[in-house]
Amino acid sequence: MRVRVILPAIAAILAGMAMIGPGLTRPQRLTDALVVVDITRSMNTRDMEGGSRLDYARRALTDWIATRPCGSRIGLALFTERRSLTLFEPVEICADFASIKGAMDGLDWRMAWEGDSMIQKGLDHALRRAGGLGVPLIFVTDGQEAPPLPYSGAARFAGDSPGGLILGVGGDQPAPIPKFDDLGREAGFYEPGDVQHAPARLGAPPPDAAQRPGWHPRNNPYGESDLDGSEHLSALRAEYLADLAAERGLGFLRLSDGPAAIDRALAVHAPGKTVPATRSLSPPLAAAALVLLLTLWVIGGRRVSLTRQDIT
Amino acid sequence: MIGFTAPFALWALPLAGLPLLTRWLRSSSVPRLDLRPAEGVSRAVDRGLTAAGVIALAALIMGLAGPYLRGGSLPYRGMGTNLVLLIDRSSSMDDTFAGRAPDGTDESKAAAARRILQDFIAGRPDDRIGIAAFSTAPLQVLPMTTSRSAIAAAITAQSERGLSQTDVGRGLALAMQMTRDASAMGSRAVVLVSDGAAVIAPEVQDLVRELALEQQVNLYWLYLRTEGARSIFDPGAPGEADSPQTRPERHLHLLLQRLGITYRAFEAESPEAVAQAVAEIGTLESRPILTERSLPRRDLAWLCFLAAALAAALLTAARALERPFAPRRPAPLVRQP
Repeated sequence: MRVRVILPAIAAILAGMAMIGPGLTRPQRLTDALVVVDITRSMNTRDMEGGSRLDYARRALTDWIATRPCGSRIGLALFTERRSLTLFEPVEICADFASIKGAMDGLDWRMAWEGDSMIQKGLDHALRRAGGLGVPLIFVTDGQEAPPLPYSGAARFAGDSPGGLILGVGGDQPAPIPKFDDLGREAGFYEPGDVQHAPARLGAPPPDAAQRPGWHPRNNPYGESDLDGSEHLSALRAEYLADLAAERGLGFLRLSDGPAAIDRALAVHAPGKTVPATRSLSPPLAAAALVLLLTLWVIGGRRVSLTRQDIT
Repeated sequence: MIGFTAPFALWALPLAGLPLLTRWLRSSSVPRLDLRPAEGVSRAVDRGLTAAGVIALAALIMGLAGPYLRGGSLPYRGMGTNLVLLIDRSSSMDDTFAGRAPDGTDESKAAAARRILQDFIAGRPDDRIGIAAFSTAPLQVLPMTTSRSAIAAAITAQSERGLSQTDVGRGLALAMQMTRDASAMGSRAVVLVSDGAAVIAPEVQDLVRELALEQQVNLYWLYLRTEGARSIFDPGAPGEADSPQTRPERHLHLLLQRLGITYRAFEAESPEAVAQAVAEIGTLESRPILTERSLPRRDLAWLCFLAAALAAALLTAARALERPFAPRRPAPLVRQP
């Protein structure tokens, strides 16, 4: 048959195939996660775009979850004191986005059942919890240990790490932490006298303790030179969190790095599951039909004319 | 409401006007005797072909923009209630009804309550359910939702080891505040699942009283009584100390009775009794409720592609039926010498 007929027929067939919508199946990586959000007092510090760290974390995490592919599952938990508390186990994010967002918006420092902020203990508890659920962990914190760690530093982690990320939130400049009264009204900021600055009196004293003022081998083995500090101010303890993350097979980055960076880091540090995802071929087929038809219309406009020379 | 996944593709729509400027069939500047005259039918065919061309191009461009019908929610009348489950997360809930650590034969109070609540919710598709927990501080676990998967995930997650103390007063206040999110039509109910109580501060009592009157909730207390604990219905022997400090559960019961709302207490000493009480709450709380069913979004691109395919088929048919011009040049009018 003639090209004049075959080409529009091909365009019609392409459009028909686009309607049926064949798809290419290819494996897609999905990563579930248990998101644990630190709700301790230091998260109220207002140094993230003028808002508190907790507000920023809620917003950034919701935005990040909104960019994830359907089929990924997210569980939500909170951390305070020395353990995490799971609000709900991982749920599919597209079907239950409203619930995830609602629960995320409901996260509040007033949920804290105790005021301690033992990051390392809470992190290890959350890791065990995430491991029990069989999903990677995403731990969102500013890394402020309250009370401060003993001189021996953080305890070693023993156990299987399910992988995941620590997301740091907070500014680099130490900022004051808001203080609230019994009825939840804000009442100024924490003063140096309100918090404990000295490392916990546990484990071995520092090696130079004998030179410190007030040292006594039996009654005061730690000395008294470490009673002042700046624990009433809070900044993101990025190095400390990076150390914790490295030891536990987790990645560390800042929440403010954005959803794309979090996805990349999660792909590196967390095992994903691959599910077949179908990508529709309709758009390329329809585009081909469109280009073909446009060309035909443009060419068709050329008049089949018998030129003057032919006639004369 | 129609949306587009790739709205920028719509910028190409002016291209669909191309058929207005050019022709689909052959045309010649030389008049011929075997052409049809420009009367009604041929004009209709001409315009029809132009229209088919416009439709084919426009439909393909629209289809590439990915139109879809927005999903949403469809309100409907069901039988159920706006329910807030208020779950005690104090560590004593991890013991059995006999007050011991679970040893494999008896399940803990928390596990029994979770299992029975899961069954209860699975059997009630029309309820809007929110979940709150309390220990030393009240925690909103899940805002009111109709999503069964989220509710199930939230109840399962309560299997973690409990927290420290019991502050039931502020938990009640939170649960009643959550019923503000209830649908306009339908009753509101709060089911308190706990195995104990504590002294409630006077200002929290006032708050609970105000909220109860404001929200008009139906309150159910499922009291998981540990073996040996005193019944909340037992007024005590004459002369026995009866104060909130010595018998907090009984005084919570008295406070709830005085709230001026529908209130029932169920005492359960075994998983079977819990199931019975939950079933009774279920029958009491089956009233008409205006709830919603969520609709997924529907893809409309296939409709566009169907229109494009039909229009292109029409154009193809026109070309197939097109009569070719004479295979050779017409003979010159004046014979060459």
